[in-house]
Parts: sequence; C-alpha cells; structure tokens
Amino acid sequence: MGKLESRNIEKYFKHDGKPLKTLDGIDLNVEDGEFVCIVGPSGCGKSTFLRITAGLEEPSNGQIFLDGQSLTGTGPDRIMVFQEGALFPWLNVQDNVEYGLKIAGIPKEERNEISGRYLDMMQLTQFATSYIHQLSTGMKQRVAIARALVMEPDVLLMDEPFAALDPQTRDLLLVELQLIWQKTKKTIVFVTHNVTEAVMLGTRVLVFSHRPAKIKKEVKIDYKRPRVAEDENLLPYQQKILAELRPSSKVD
Amino acid sequence: MKPSTLAKKIGFYVMIIIVWQGLDSADIWPDNIFPSPVDVVEDLAYGVSDGSLFFGIGTSLLRLIVGLSIAIAGGLVLGIFMARVETVNQTIGSLVLGLQSIPSIAWVPLAILWLGLTDAGIIFVVAIGAIFAVTINTYTGVKNINPSYIEAARNMGAKEGQLITSILIPAAFPFIMSGFKQGWAFAWRGVIGAELLFSFLGLGFLLNVGRQLNDVSQVIAIMLVIMGIGILAEGLVFKKIEDKVMTRWGLR
Repeated sequence: MGKLESRNIEKYFKHDGKPLKTLDGIDLNVEDGEFVCIVGPSGCGKSTFLRITAGLEEPSNGQIFLDGQSLTGTGPDRIMVFQEGALFPWLNVQDNVEYGLKIAGIPKEERNEISGRYLDMMQLTQFATSYIHQLSTGMKQRVAIARALVMEPDVLLMDEPFAALDPQTRDLLLVELQLIWQKTKKTIVFVTHNVTEAVMLGTRVLVFSHRPAKIKKEVKIDYKRPRVAEDENLLPYQQKILAELRPSSKVD
Repeated sequence: MKPSTLAKKIGFYVMIIIVWQGLDSADIWPDNIFPSPVDVVEDLAYGVSDGSLFFGIGTSLLRLIVGLSIAIAGGLVLGIFMARVETVNQTIGSLVLGLQSIPSIAWVPLAILWLGLTDAGIIFVVAIGAIFAVTINTYTGVKNINPSYIEAARNMGAKEGQLITSILIPAAFPFIMSGFKQGWAFAWRGVIGAELLFSFLGLGFLLNVGRQLNDVSQVIAIMLVIMGIGILAEGLVFKKIEDKVMTRWGLR
C-alpha cells in the first residue's frame, strides 16, 4: 500500500444538461517520497484529478486514501500549489507564508521561526516584507511553494505551477524544485502539460488519455539529479511520452 | 497637491467671497435676507465663543458615529451572508435592494412613532439610511473574490469562521471600503435631516433654530460647518484609508 492511493476515481460534469465523463476510473498508487508527474492533453481532466485529491472537488465515484485512510474534504495533509499562486495581496510575503500556521493557532514566535526557515530555502528572506504585487511571477511562485512547504504536508500537490513563467525562470525553478524534493523527501504529485518539465521532475510520469481520461501510459524515469532541460539523455523519455500524447496514437 | 492646483483653488474661493461681498455691498437685498460674509463669520465666532457650535457638532458627530458603526457592523454581516448563502441572497437580498431605495428621511416618521423624539430615534434613521449601502458593497466585494483565495485558505485548514475574518473581509476590502464611504455619505445626510425634523439638538437643530429666528447668517454658517465636516471626512479619513488599501493591493 502506498502513501497516496486513488481507487477508481470517476468524475462527471454536466454539459448541455447531459453528464459528460471526464475521469474514467483513475487508479493510482503513489509511494512515500515519490515525485509523480501527470501529463495529458489540455482539458483531459488532469487538474480535476488533482483537485479531487486535494479535496477541493468531490469525485462522482471512487475514493482517495492517504496512509490507508479514506479522505473527504480538504486537509492540511495535502497542500496544493495553484497555477496562479493564489497568494493573498493584502498580506506581505512572510504573512502569506505563515497563513496556514496562523490558522492552526501556532504562536507568533514559532511561526516566525518556521517561516524563516522556508523563506531562506526559497531565497525569499530579503523580500519578507514585500507585498505580492511587488514581486515577479517567478518570485510569486517561490512564495506559493514556501507557503505550501511550511504546512509540512504529507503530499504536495502542484497544478501547473510554472505554466506562466518565462523559460529561464522556469528552468531555474525546475532545478530548485528537484533540490527541495531531495532535501525534504516530500511526496509530490505534479500536473503539467509540458513534457520536458515532467521528464525533468518525475520519478514516474503518467500520461492521461483524452477525455474521458484514463492512465494511458506510465514511464519510470530513473536518472541522476538535478536533471537539466538540455540533457540529451532525457530525450528518449520525452519522445516516448510525446508519442502517446499525439492524437493519431488513439488508433491503436 | 501641486502648488498651482492649490493656488487655483484658493483663487476660486477668494473670488466667491469677493463676489458675495460685492453683492452684499450693492444692497440689492436687505441684510436679513442676504447676509455678508462678515455676518456669517461673526455668527460662527459667536457659536464658538458660547460653545453652542461645538456642542452641536459633538452631538451630531456622536449620533453619526454610533449610527454608522451599527450600519457597518450590520451591513458586513448581512452582505457576507448574502454572498455566501444563496437562499439568503434570493430572499433578504431582494428586500435589501428595495429598502435601499427609501431615502433616510422617509424613516423619520416611523422612528418618531417607535422611539419618540430621542437620540435612539435619530441613530435609527442614520443606521438604517447607511446599512444597505454597506450591505450591497460588501456583497459585491465578497462575490468578486478570486475563488482560488478561498480554495487556498480552505486547503490550508481555514474553517468557515476563520475564512470570514482572514480571507473574505480583507479580500473584499476595496469594495467594502466604498461601502463605508457611501454609508458615511448617507449617514451624514441622514443625521442632519433627522435632526431638522426631530428638532432635538445637533447641527440640524441649529439650522432649524436659525430658520425660526429668521437668522439667515446662522443658517449659512451651519451649512458651511456641515460642508466643512464633510470635506474633512472625505479628504482625511476616507482618502487616507483608501490610499493605503489601494497601494497595498497594488491597485494603484
């Protein structure tokens, strides 16, 4: 039994009054400390699957288990990093990072101590008192990751967190995220439409099919880290995944 | 303010006073109908020296503050409820829109019948005149909150109560702020109007006394005071808070 398990997750949405099947029985077993990437064509429901895992949406069928316990609703054991960060503009960087700790009733001194550690890890210390609108997109995503890490979740869920970044900033954060993962040994589920990104990050890459989504292919990537985007040895993995994503491969 | 703007403003008001004094010197109307600026200033000085002006201002401001505080507290609660619970919006929400169209003065007869010629009666008129503006703005503000703020907060463990104080109110604050501003404007008009009709202390009462004594210069003097307080509240209190909020949110 893995750390995080999804059993037969199905999801229907209403479309023109008719139910539209989006997720067609997703069975997934994520081991403790694994870095799982999910890629799929846009609109295939990979983000929906992540939101169901986070408890932000209800599955139509099926269940999510964490350490063998069935889950309902959201919980600080599964923290999500949103695509646009979802940072609070009325709080400065440090208060954003400490939000979850404050909600949990952790005293100020302890909060400062914990947030200080993660601000340092994400190289944000000198921006602690900046407001969100003063930051670049890359900095914002650093804050979002720090805000998630302070919660010390069992599982970190990441919904295309780097999609809006420029290529240089993204490459930098892709390497940093690997270092953070190695340091914290977190279990991560990372959704992206970017195959290079998935191959750089994942210990395992899952390819979702077009709607209704199933896990179409699973590619294990056992390769030294930190991986960089330009590494040619990663190309075969990318090609294998890209071939699965090509619409014509539906024929088989 | 730029020096040239300030000069233009001062010039404009000086011109008004000169024209006013000129009209008075031309003796078109008798002095008891059209007082000179000097008469008005003398009247203000008299009100200051015997303390009646300060007492009037104090009474009106106290009623305003109590009434507006009630309106703000009630409006926030009502607005948040309407935004969060659809049934409340469909029922009470429609009533609020209707009540909003009633001018505060129209509540005066009811206030007198229910509460008599008392402070409570005037405060009732002030509060009811302002509450719906706060309600509607709060409602709009909460409805317009980026849903990912709420999801992120839930995800980090915020309960509904914590959500209200830590997310809904601060996230909606730019809207809530305009609610306060509108509420204040309605409340200030309400307090003067109610005092005129109740004829029970305050600046509105002093206006009434001026009319009863055929003292036009007192009437104009009190009107200038009412305008002056309005300018101070808008320019100092609300503008300061608004500037701070806008800067922090990065809206300006």
